[in-house]
Amino acid sequence: MAIQIVMDRTGDTRHTFNPYDRAAVEKAEKRFMELIGAGFTAAARTGPGEQRVVRNFDPTAEETLFYPRLVGG
Amino acid sequence: MTAQIALATGSFILTLIAAMILSTLSITLVRYASSGGPVYLERDRRALRLLKEWLTPEQLTCYERFRYFEVIGSDTGTRFRIHHGTQTNIEELGSGDRLVCKWCFGPDGNLAPGDVMLAQKIALETNERGALAVANRSYFRPDGVAFRRAA
Repeated sequence: MAIQIVMDRTGDTRHTFNPYDRAAVEKAEKRFMELIGAGFTAAARTGPGEQRVVRNFDPTAEETLFYPRLVGG
Repeated sequence: MTAQIALATGSFILTLIAAMILSTLSITLVRYASSGGPVYLERDRRALRLLKEWLTPEQLTCYERFRYFEVIGSDTGTRFRIHHGTQTNIEELGSGDRLVCKWCFGPDGNLAPGDVMLAQKIALETNERGALAVANRSYFRPDGVAFRRAA
């Protein structure tokens, strides 16, 4: 199972999907595009403590984290 | 007769004290419920768990011991120390752990400290210049007083 984690006011919301289920992948891709369109940044975990920013939906990414647009404090 | 008056007065005072305690307790409970206390505790716990899942073993060890961890900027190799918190919690370090300045940026919205620190880590490790472009920077005079200017 793959997972998309979205940071929000509850801590985070987690969406798991089967990467071999076409419908589930399409739904995950739609969610990805919506979040990116809303200004979120997506990062895929590549190893312990390591990550890469992803700008296009990657159905092979096991864990993708979305955080809101950065602003100065 | 005097004993009866004393008893009645004592009972009255005790009843009055009990009523005051109960009303104070009720007000406290109502305030706690309306502040969403348990929700905030739960979200903070979830965010910290997520942060710990995404830290390197070294960063995790450091955070659990000192409540901060360090990251290396992706563009300049600068070392940053991210303290537990949500605002002005990032120190830029120079040689010998010298404090160069403090940075303040984070994800938009009212997020828990764990989420804020994780977004700061990822941003600095993958897009240092982009992150610092939106950040505010604080400098410190020798007497310790902070002053700020836009980055």
